[in-house]
Amino acid sequence: MGELQAFLAVYQENWADWSPQIAAAVWNTVLLTVCSFGLAILVGLLLAIGKLSRVRLLRGFCTAYIEVARGIPALAVLFLIYYGLVPLGLVLDAFVAGFVGLGLSAGGYIAEVFRAGIQAIHKGQREAALAVGMTPAVTFRVIILPQALRIILPPLLNMLIILLKDTSICSLISTPELMLRAKDLAMMSFLPMHLFLLAGVIYFLLAWPMSLLTRRVEAHMRRGLRSAAP
Amino acid sequence: MDVEKILDLGGPLLLGAVTTVQITLISLVVAIAIGLSLALLKLTRFRPLHWLIDVYVEVFRNTPVLAQLFIIYFGLAYAGVKVASLPAAIIGLGLNGGAILTEVFRAGFGAIHHGQREAALAVGMTPWASMRWIILPQTWRITLPPLGNYAIALLKDTAVVSAIAAPEIMFYARNLVTSTFETTAVYILAALLYFCLSFPLARLVDRFERRQRAWQ
Repeated sequence: MGELQAFLAVYQENWADWSPQIAAAVWNTVLLTVCSFGLAILVGLLLAIGKLSRVRLLRGFCTAYIEVARGIPALAVLFLIYYGLVPLGLVLDAFVAGFVGLGLSAGGYIAEVFRAGIQAIHKGQREAALAVGMTPAVTFRVIILPQALRIILPPLLNMLIILLKDTSICSLISTPELMLRAKDLAMMSFLPMHLFLLAGVIYFLLAWPMSLLTRRVEAHMRRGLRSAAP
Repeated sequence: MDVEKILDLGGPLLLGAVTTVQITLISLVVAIAIGLSLALLKLTRFRPLHWLIDVYVEVFRNTPVLAQLFIIYFGLAYAGVKVASLPAAIIGLGLNGGAILTEVFRAGFGAIHHGQREAALAVGMTPWASMRWIILPQTWRITLPPLGNYAIALLKDTAVVSAIAAPEIMFYARNLVTSTFETTAVYILAALLYFCLSFPLARLVDRFERRQRAWQ
């Protein structure tokens, strides 16, 4: 018990010093997550539409992008963007490189999520909408998308949680987020256990509520689908 | 970029790839062992055990692998337990994967209709035999695709263990960059190498999935 108290006392001692730095870093982590998620959704949507298009070249490109993005670790993409483009004259800010790398990488996954969601809608839905005189654009927006969304939403939320956790690897290209701050403070204070545990707890406090929410959304969506069945 | 240069840079990266594959395979075995045992333990009716397993699963699924690796590698060293980088990588990835696979196997067991077990017991099988011959073979079939997907994710996650100096592809790549300054070529080759490892695996999982859909 005494050891635990001594362990916790260290936090108390350093709290005034650590808390403002950690708080700023947490804000950056959240920002990084939101930015990369936004980019990933944009990339994913474009890729999904491209993969379902009738233009062969576009379809081929999108399929290839999705396969490659899903086959390469996000860390390799980050290193390539942050360090690998420098000799070509493209020097990116570590934050920008971080969210672009994560977004481009996650875009491949999200594209598959979107595609699966859109393809799960029976083609009769589309045919019926066109038959009653809707334009293809209206059909997509009013008929296909709302139905696809209930299939897409749970895996999309899952992806958000994965992205939140993956922002930690941006610390390896020196993006100023939670993991990097924890590492820097750990090196300065020689208290790695305290700081990495603290970082872990903060990630958990961010991710866990989202996990619970995702599970509820999942159950909710399933219930809707079951009652809709004949 | 000429062939000779690619060969010069490719050699060390291939050396790293061997370690990457080793780390992936050993961590996979550890994760399957943890996941399967915990999912089996969750079939028992001993409540406190359920809570403990749930806590483990939630904690490891909702924190980054990198944080887990840093705690095991740097944190434990501070507490007086020195773990070398390779074992630390395997423990970290194994524990992380164990949490993911516990859920995968639990869902697999849950998908087997309880009548299967009841029928097995009714024809005189022991609980163990019904598990071994009736439940597990069917669970295996259901869990194979998500297991394969996890293996691919794990392969890519091994890139992160370069941060605790485990000598895999990314670690060699970073060293190569400092010695040759061929930044762009090295990182493109490293990415390509990962792709060559994970793509066949992805195709294989794809085939499992399609065959399973046909079977259902």
